[in-house]
Amino acid sequence: MKRLAPLLGPATVLSLAVTFVMGLWLTPPDVVQGQLVRLLYVHPALAWVALYVSFATTTIASALYLWPRTRTMTMDRVAYCAMEVSIVFIALTLITGSLWGRPAWGVWWAWDARLTATAIMLILELGYLALRRANDDAKVRARRSAVFGILIALNVPIIHFAVQWWKTLHQPATVLSNSGKVTVHGSMLWTLLLSFVAFTLLFFWLLRARYRLENQREHRRDAGLATVLEQRQREGL
Amino acid sequence: MDAIDPTNLSPVAAPPTRRRGNLRSVVVLVVLVAAIGLLLSQGLLSNLNYFKTVDEAMAQKSQLGTQTLRLEGLVERGSIARTNSGASFVLTGSGKQHVNVRVSGTPPQLFRANIGVVVVGHFVSAASLNFVGNQIIVKHSASYIAAHPNRFKGQNGSPR
Repeated sequence: MKRLAPLLGPATVLSLAVTFVMGLWLTPPDVVQGQLVRLLYVHPALAWVALYVSFATTTIASALYLWPRTRTMTMDRVAYCAMEVSIVFIALTLITGSLWGRPAWGVWWAWDARLTATAIMLILELGYLALRRANDDAKVRARRSAVFGILIALNVPIIHFAVQWWKTLHQPATVLSNSGKVTVHGSMLWTLLLSFVAFTLLFFWLLRARYRLENQREHRRDAGLATVLEQRQREGL
Repeated sequence: MDAIDPTNLSPVAAPPTRRRGNLRSVVVLVVLVAAIGLLLSQGLLSNLNYFKTVDEAMAQKSQLGTQTLRLEGLVERGSIARTNSGASFVLTGSGKQHVNVRVSGTPPQLFRANIGVVVVGHFVSAASLNFVGNQIIVKHSASYIAAHPNRFKGQNGSPR
C-alpha cells in the first residue's frame, strides 16, 4: 500500500486523460442525443464517486470511530476529509446534470425525486461541515459528526432507488440497473466504465492530499499550543 | 469567585458539562417521528411522482378536470404538426390511450417522434381528450446507441 501510494497521482492523471480522449474523440455520438452523450463520461462517474465511493468511506470511517475498539482520531479525520471531497463531487454532479438537462430535457432543473434528493444531500453535507464547527472539543466533534455522517448516508439508497420508487424525469440507472441489461454501445460502455475508474482514482488522490493537509494542520496546532504554553510558563517564572 | 493564580499554568479540568436528561431527546425524537409520519400519511410519497402517465391520467380523468399536471407519454409517429404558437402531436400511453396535445412555445432540441416527453398543462375539459400545454420536457431513456456505428470519423476528421 505504502509503495503504491505515490503511483496514485500519475494513475489518476493517465486514466483521466484516456477517458478525456476516448470521450471526446474516439466514441461516436448517440443516435438520439448526438454530441450531448459525451456528458455520459463525466456526470455518472461524478455521481458514483459523490454518493457511493465517498459515502462508503465516510460511513465506514465513522462506524470505526464509534466502535470503541477501533476508535482513533485517524478515523474521524478520514471521515471528515472524505465528506469534504464528496461535497466537491456532489456539487459537480448537480452542475453537470444541469448542463446536460438543459439541452436534453429542455430544462435546467426539475423537482423530481432524484434531483431533489441529491440537492438535499448537498445541503446535508454542508450541514456536516457546520456541525464540525459547532464544537471545539475534538472528541465531542468526532462523535457527533460520526453519528451525523452515518445518518445522512441513509439518503444514498433513497437517491439510488428514487428512479425506481417514484416516477422521475431522470432516467433509470445505466450500469447499476436492476435488469442487469446494459444498453450502451460498445466503445461508449468501455469509456463509461473507464470514467468510473478514473474518477474513483481521482477521489482517493484528493482524499489522500486532503488527509495529509489535515494531519499537518493538526500537528501545527499541537506544536503551536506547546510553544505558547512554554512562552506563558516562562513569563510566569 | 476564586482568585486565579497567574503563575499556575498547569491545565485545569474542564467544568462539568450540564447533563440534560434523556427526556429532552426523547421528546425531540417523538416530535420528529410524528412529523415524518404525518408527512407520509398526507400522501407525500405519492406526490413525489414527477408526472402522471397517459394511462394514469385517463383513469383519473374525471377527478383531474382541468387542473394543471405533468403528463407523460410517447410522441406518436407522424403526429407532430407545427402550429402558430408551437406544436401539436398525439401522446400515447402503454395501451391504446391517446391524448391530443397542443403546446405553445419552442419544443426542446431532442423533441421528435417516438420519444418520451412530459408535457406541463391541463385538459381542456373533464371529458375532453385535448390537452393544452405550455412546456415540453423530453424524458430520454438510459440507452446510448452509436449514431453511426461503422463511421467514427467524418470527412473533416471530426467525429460525426
